Amino acid sequence: MTLRSFIRHETFLAILLVLALFVLSWQSDRFFTVANLLNQGRLMTETGLIAIAMTFVIATGGIDLSVGSILGLTAILTGVFWKNLGVPLPAAAVAAIAVGTFAGYVNGLIITRFRVPALIATLATLALYRGLAEGVSQARSVRGYPDWFYVLGQGEVLGVPTQLWILLIAAVVAAVILAYTRWGRTTYAIGSNEVAARFSGLSVEGTKLALYTMSGFAAAVAAVIFVSRVSTTRSDMGSGIELDAITAVVLGGTSIFGGRGTVLGTVLGLCLIQALKNGLSLAGVKGDGTIMLIGIVLILAVLASAIFERSGTR
Amino acid sequence: MAMSGVDLPPVRPQTSLQRPGFLRRLMADYGQELIVLLAIVVLFVAVTAVNPRFISANNLTSIFSGNAYIAVAAIGMAMVIITGNIDVSIGALIGVLATISGTLAVAGYPIWVAWFFPVLVGMAINGLIGILVAYFRIPSIVVTLGALSILRGGLISVTGGTWISDLPPAFLIAQQKWLGLPVPLVAMIVLTVLAALWMRYSAFGRSLYAVGGNPEAAVATGIPIERRIVAVFILNGFFAGLATILFATQLQVIQSTVPPNLELTIIMAAVIGGVSILGGSGTVIGSTLAAILFATIGSALIFVNVSAYWLRAVIGLLILATVLADMLRRRRTV
Amino acid sequence: MHKIVLSALLALSFSTSLSHAQSAWTGGDDLPTNPLACDATPATAEAKPYDGGQPTNPPDRKGKTLTVVDVPKLVGIGYFNATSKGIADAAKEMGTMNAKTDGPSKANIDDQITLIDNYITSGVDGILFAANDPVAISPVLKKALAAGINVVGYDANSEPDARQWFVNQAEFNGIAKAMVDSMASEIGEEGSFAIVTSTFTTPNQARWISEMAAYQAKCHPKMKWLETVEAQEDNILSFNQSNTLINKYGDELKGIFGMTSVATPAAADAVTQAKKCGSVAVVGLATPNAMKPYVSAGCVKSVVLWNPVDLGYAAAYVLRAAADGTLAPGATSVKAGKLGDLSVINGSEILLGAPFVFTKDNINDFDF
Repeated sequence: MTLRSFIRHETFLAILLVLALFVLSWQSDRFFTVANLLNQGRLMTETGLIAIAMTFVIATGGIDLSVGSILGLTAILTGVFWKNLGVPLPAAAVAAIAVGTFAGYVNGLIITRFRVPALIATLATLALYRGLAEGVSQARSVRGYPDWFYVLGQGEVLGVPTQLWILLIAAVVAAVILAYTRWGRTTYAIGSNEVAARFSGLSVEGTKLALYTMSGFAAAVAAVIFVSRVSTTRSDMGSGIELDAITAVVLGGTSIFGGRGTVLGTVLGLCLIQALKNGLSLAGVKGDGTIMLIGIVLILAVLASAIFERSGTR
Repeated sequence: MAMSGVDLPPVRPQTSLQRPGFLRRLMADYGQELIVLLAIVVLFVAVTAVNPRFISANNLTSIFSGNAYIAVAAIGMAMVIITGNIDVSIGALIGVLATISGTLAVAGYPIWVAWFFPVLVGMAINGLIGILVAYFRIPSIVVTLGALSILRGGLISVTGGTWISDLPPAFLIAQQKWLGLPVPLVAMIVLTVLAALWMRYSAFGRSLYAVGGNPEAAVATGIPIERRIVAVFILNGFFAGLATILFATQLQVIQSTVPPNLELTIIMAAVIGGVSILGGSGTVIGSTLAAILFATIGSALIFVNVSAYWLRAVIGLLILATVLADMLRRRRTV
Repeated sequence: MHKIVLSALLALSFSTSLSHAQSAWTGGDDLPTNPLACDATPATAEAKPYDGGQPTNPPDRKGKTLTVVDVPKLVGIGYFNATSKGIADAAKEMGTMNAKTDGPSKANIDDQITLIDNYITSGVDGILFAANDPVAISPVLKKALAAGINVVGYDANSEPDARQWFVNQAEFNGIAKAMVDSMASEIGEEGSFAIVTSTFTTPNQARWISEMAAYQAKCHPKMKWLETVEAQEDNILSFNQSNTLINKYGDELKGIFGMTSVATPAAADAVTQAKKCGSVAVVGLATPNAMKPYVSAGCVKSVVLWNPVDLGYAAAYVLRAAADGTLAPGATSVKAGKLGDLSVINGSEILLGAPFVFTKDNINDFDF
């Protein structure tokens, strides 16, 4: 193993994460406890699911800004289908996830069939889907779910928060797909050179369509988990989550220009952000200080990895 | 966001062999701008038919001058996007600059210092962003995401959100008139026209299209790409600073927080106006027209009694329609 | 193809929304209303058993120094700066409380929940909160109670059993009465008015709007509501929306209600700049500092608000009393420092008092 391949972004990030964990647990003895770390896992699941799907999207050189709005729309529909239309809750949740997935599919259609750049297309649907959520909900919340529903967002399975299992499974499956399957290779190929990918006979449009649909699906699943965690629905749920997810993906070393990135990196980026948010708060730093620090870490981490990489190629 | 790819929209033909008519040439050069303009006109006609008060002088003033700061900020954003970059921190920057401006005005500094010192601060901050993007090769969305966090967190921890009131009346330039026209309107028009002329006819302006559209060719023709990118971010800071003057002086109090979703509105204006997000084409006239379109939509929907709950869905649908119309037009012109 | 898809989506959404019940005015909620009597007859409060929650096995905190965190809806607006000042004042006066304020930078339910969760882990003795959403915040507050932490709300409530006490600034129907009565006295019994609110999903604002609708129908039946517009917590947007209302309705519009401390000054500015002072009245909830220019210029006659500094101050004292055990379920009043005795209503709420109306004569006495 040469030095160059060793100093990959993920390794660098892992070192940074360990360093952060060490410093933070030295600052507060309540930080590095199993209970606290598992609880942090609970809090980062929704962003995590979205970020994992976003890794694929960004690796193709695209972006999906509408995920927060899809989350809001799915959350609202879960409640409305169940309460107002009288559909049984499991069916309501599945139907709402189907609509959320469909919203992602519509993004994909606009991007692939109409050749609208992803940023513009999803910027427009960000407004549209949020608007639909507001319109459907008429600004009302749906509350009073049955107890079993809260297992998903507030319960535990084998001592670990339920949704953390979902996140783990999603991360492993996604990592395998991206690294070892034809689909993953097509994703990278589109990101590095779309023209070449098309000439090599890869299904560029089909893959992109599938990825945006998957992004919608991830946001929709995150929505149901979110509803279960906070036990209510609101049309403003998930606003701004797209920036959190993109921050995690980019911090994780996925190139915004496409062609490079791993799920492992995204998960590391996610953990680093969550550890900073939680650890700094426990160490007595206020929320606004934490926001600033995360901004600085984002820039410095990407800067450092850019410098390492350049020195490696010399 | 890819720098390369077949999704690049076709470069607008500047000349054609068949000596096309004036209209065709106008359509080819300013197609998206014309679509946006058409949308504005249609909206005005339709809404006025429902409620003639829509084109009263007062309402026109509210539509144009109440949102002029968005148009001014979108000029800088359009330039950034033309070079293939983006700035998601602009809303936070405007919030920070407005607070600095108000603080200086209340502290008794000369009015022009309160207006223009924040412009310098904006240019300095964006210069730094530009250096990180150009020389350290960090993608602009990463740098500006970071800057967004730093500016937003910093603003709250410094001010604690205290409002600034007791502003000197002379400071409130956005409420004054110039030759009978509101200052924000005049500023918007003058800045847009100057920037458009400069982008079209100066060597510097034209080189920006090359930086965004075809960096390899730009290098080959001797354009210093790094310096251009830093310069364009400084310009973005300059326009954000000017936008701040209009933003901060509109009311008698300054809310020292980051205006919610301002960056999305500004980026959307730049993008919808015909600045392809892939860089390399588009004009600042389009971004100003798009800012006016948003303002018109916002006002029109209240005038025609769209249920307030569905307002945002309708806005989203209109924006999507504009984007799709542009894409269909582009296909037809190729 | 996509048009079919989009229209299908729209149709689906429209059809589902039809099944909702509607409040009389846009922006209100569905909860039952309880308008006060038209004259000054106080409401007859029915006694209600204590319905709050209790911390599980709290340590004996009597007389000990408490570490308290205050988590408002968001930081960075004048209103919550004022409540935070009140809490700090009370803490200083008691000498046995270390209080700090930390809140989300946007009124976001998830950020607020995460913050509270972190403070539970860090082991505070008490949590003061103003909820962005009454239901969403409840699981994390119950977790705090289960960890033995004393939990007291102010400004915006959670579900009752998720906290011990809630300091109620003024009852919803009391605010509604003060607002509508002020408006009626300024624009007359047959005037038309519009409302500028933050968002339709903000619970307090939705509740006030519903109560205002009920009270107006009962006591000022000839007044006419025109419409409600949203303006986030954004002063320029509030200004633009108010302008649009003024332009749309022309002389028909006699008054604007501002439902937030951001919307009211912006609406006043719009009226001032449109040179409509005197012909369009602005009545609203706002903090005095932001309203001074408009009140001294005579453009706004009355600003309705409780004193948020007192609200924070009372919340801190209630938390102290709950931790000491001097305020136990079944109590009918509590001592809150310089504010004297405050009475318990609705089972587990403590009433700060009647809403306060700021006018030209007294507004300069306040600084928040």
